[in-house]
Amino acid sequence: MSWSFPKLIPRSAPVILLVLTLAAATGFAAVSHLVARFTANQQSRGRKLYAQGLAEASANRYDDAINAFRAALTCEPTNSQYQLSLARALRDSNDPNRLDEAESYLIALWQRAPQDAAVNLALARVAAHRGSIDDATRYYHNAMYGVWDSDPDANRSKARIELIQFLLKQGTPNKAASELMALATALPPDPVAHLQAAQLFAQAKDYAGELVQYEEALRLDPANSAALAGAGEAAYRSGDYATAHRYLQAAVNANPQDADSRLLLATTDLILRNNPFQSHISDVERNRRITAAFTQAEKRLTECAQQTGVDLKTATPAASPLAGLQSLWTEAKPDLTRLRSPAETDLPDALMDVVFQVEQQTAVTCGQPQGLDLALLLISHKREVASR
Amino acid sequence: MSNSSTTRPAATPAARFQTPRRLFSTVEGVFNEELFFLILSVFIGIFAGMAVVCFRLAIDWMHLALLGPLPQTHGWRLFAVPAVAGLVVAALVIHVFPGIRGSGVNQTKAALYIFNGFIPFRTAIGKFICSAIAIGSGQSLGPEDPSLQIGAGIASALGRQLEISREKLRLMAPVGAAAGLAAAFNAPISAVLFVIEEVIGRWSAGILGSVVLSAVSSVVVVRWFLGSEPLFRIPVTTFKRPTELIAYAVLGIVGGLASVAFAKSIGYLRPRLNALPRWTQYFQPALAGLLIGLIAFLGAPQIIGAGYDSMDQAMHGQYAWKVLAVLAVLKILATTLSFVSGVPGGMFAPTLFIGAMLGGAVGDVERHFFPHLTGSTGTYVLVGMGVLFAGFLRVPMTSVFMVLEVSGNYEIVVPVIVANTFSYLISRSLQTVPIFDMLTRQDGLILPSLEEDREEAILRVEDAMLPVPPTILSAEDYVDANARRVHDSTDSNFLVRMHPSGWNIISRDQLQRLFREGKGEHTLASVLPPQSLPTLYPDLPLDSALRYVNDYPLVPVVNRANSRHLEGVISRDSVFKKYGSQNSVEAPRPT
Repeated sequence: MSWSFPKLIPRSAPVILLVLTLAAATGFAAVSHLVARFTANQQSRGRKLYAQGLAEASANRYDDAINAFRAALTCEPTNSQYQLSLARALRDSNDPNRLDEAESYLIALWQRAPQDAAVNLALARVAAHRGSIDDATRYYHNAMYGVWDSDPDANRSKARIELIQFLLKQGTPNKAASELMALATALPPDPVAHLQAAQLFAQAKDYAGELVQYEEALRLDPANSAALAGAGEAAYRSGDYATAHRYLQAAVNANPQDADSRLLLATTDLILRNNPFQSHISDVERNRRITAAFTQAEKRLTECAQQTGVDLKTATPAASPLAGLQSLWTEAKPDLTRLRSPAETDLPDALMDVVFQVEQQTAVTCGQPQGLDLALLLISHKREVASR
Repeated sequence: MSNSSTTRPAATPAARFQTPRRLFSTVEGVFNEELFFLILSVFIGIFAGMAVVCFRLAIDWMHLALLGPLPQTHGWRLFAVPAVAGLVVAALVIHVFPGIRGSGVNQTKAALYIFNGFIPFRTAIGKFICSAIAIGSGQSLGPEDPSLQIGAGIASALGRQLEISREKLRLMAPVGAAAGLAAAFNAPISAVLFVIEEVIGRWSAGILGSVVLSAVSSVVVVRWFLGSEPLFRIPVTTFKRPTELIAYAVLGIVGGLASVAFAKSIGYLRPRLNALPRWTQYFQPALAGLLIGLIAFLGAPQIIGAGYDSMDQAMHGQYAWKVLAVLAVLKILATTLSFVSGVPGGMFAPTLFIGAMLGGAVGDVERHFFPHLTGSTGTYVLVGMGVLFAGFLRVPMTSVFMVLEVSGNYEIVVPVIVANTFSYLISRSLQTVPIFDMLTRQDGLILPSLEEDREEAILRVEDAMLPVPPTILSAEDYVDANARRVHDSTDSNFLVRMHPSGWNIISRDQLQRLFREGKGEHTLASVLPPQSLPTLYPDLPLDSALRYVNDYPLVPVVNRANSRHLEGVISRDSVFKKYGSQNSVEAPRPT
């Protein structure tokens, strides 16, 4: 059997070229039709597989999701959404070997649309998985300033919060603090957002900033017990015990079951009632507080020495710091009688220094104190901060 | 007033048709055969490109219909489909499309050298249908070589239809082959180089223009329909320290050994399976399909089909080195089974697959022992592809450009060249006959081996050159003086140095006759014929001397810088003697 075309084409160059052109045009039309039909079928199949992949990913079955997304991509290899979803599944599958592939998909998408916030966010998360602070920060910033398909403000806040959490986790609170300041200025009027921001400030140990966020949340929702408790705790941590007392009292009133706030309230109460450096108290009251603190210090010193098995009568300062403090306390004790003298202006500070040294050293040796000792210890910290 | 004198007369019907006819004949006159062939090359590229687009769609459609999307292919289909499809393909090959077995590269070469460019159109159609079924059903073969043959078949059919000259018709097949391969690879430079390096075997401006035009136009067509996405997502490739070239050289050595193993396994099994009774040929592709499906079913589905998706994943570090090494070995096995069983399909994609897996495995092992190596897995995978291409297909130039074109990254050019060179040299030393030549010889055809031709020692004029004769005459001297000079010489012919340039020749008898005729007082220049003797240069091929040695007893061999400086002489005896001695030492070519 032999196949051959009948000789239809006349052997004249222009005619041949004309016929070839017509044949090429006809072929183009036919192939276009074929490709269009095939592409439509593939797209339909790809959509089904993609939906399947999304369902698997949302159920945290990442291996199945990856297979489904890969299959969807064989149907439509250039679909950005499929590529992005596959990259996310690869990244979230907790297999470090897959990060390279996830990144390569994302880089390809990024090269096509560098302004795409979703792609930048996905790349930032890959960089965060790798622990690369510079890359993650860059891509998170790109995501914040990029183009979002919907709800850009909320998405930008979320991206910044994610960046802050990443920076805090990486132990870079200074970088996190600058992001927090930017976050605080762009928060929506939503108490929940402010509560979340306050927690981030707390993680960054910026208690003043934390307090501001709780106060902002309370401005929007004055009865918010979480905000009241948080504000009280933030003020307590920042040493503003009067404010802390006010908020903690309100928190306990709003939620009597709040044991943490109740405990902090008790400590705050002790501080406010025993702080000799508090303004607007009389000399008599100040002297009473100093005497009480001095007595409490001796008690704490004795208890701590017993706890650690140190005999304060026989031990030398070289052998135990508690013995040194005991002698310091004993030397200062006679000065208590001179507290009433108006000429002894430095004496209250000197006596309280002994008290603070005892409380700080015993906290180191015997652990965190309770009650009045805790109050005195906190007062000492506040004093130190103030003097610095 | 009448204005008949200024009005043009109404054109007669005959006159109306004269102008387009003149225009037509003018346009026709513009086309000489060379120009027409170039334009035809563009059309060949367009048609081949469209055919390859349809071919790729057919493979994808077959795959989806028979196996489903690749990552979700599983279960009984994995071994049932390739086996059943193997039966169908075998029946088609035996009864409907004989002559489509194999990759198609050799058939295209045979069309060029044996059949005057003739490739039956049925072969192109058969290749399209059977390769689509085979590759789509999971046989371990690729679409590139069939695309090459489909392009060549279309070009050949077109050339015959247009009744172009035999010389041009012979070239149609490689032109179409370049278009088909370029469309399949989406890589025009590699396609052009492959066709020049493996099919045509020589560079010439005329054919190069046509091959380039057809390749470029076919790639444009494919990109028009299927987009310009590369075959792989190219990873970040790095090459920082020159000392790392040692690591790539090791990859080249391993790749060269793997190439030899691959080629030898095909070379060993193919003739033995061909020698089995004819009825077994119905079942050989099915058995190959069954075994390949079994391998896939048992945990290596990556080896079915062309395997581009798996190469892509290997490039991005998805497999551990042990998996990569196992996949490379299994792919050699699977492709050998598919190919030797007579399934039509290509070896380009499997070669790339094996190289990719091997490259990744070697790279990972090297980095395990030498953690300072900076090359990523993707870099080694890319280099590995070129290594197998150079070692197995034995196309060193194409292998380098293929990697560069596919990766679009020139940073890795040095590692690619180093690794490919090692692979090529090892393969050549352990496997004397390249794979394509081995296959043609197994089929009983003697096609020129382009690798052997490239490296064949060429005889040059200097090899047959005799020393400068002791007596050189001068055209400015008198006849009697020259006659006295030759008196004691034993030679019968003498070269004459003309003035200011050129050479001539005179025999002893002629000189003595002139002397007897009383022309002793004439200068030799005045009595010799005016035309000069042809001259040769020492570096010219000895073949070029054959044109003169029959007409002249001596031909001067002169220096290229100074044509009056004689390097030696060539005579008919010296040329034939040299060819004779060459033939006696040259080993006969294997058949």
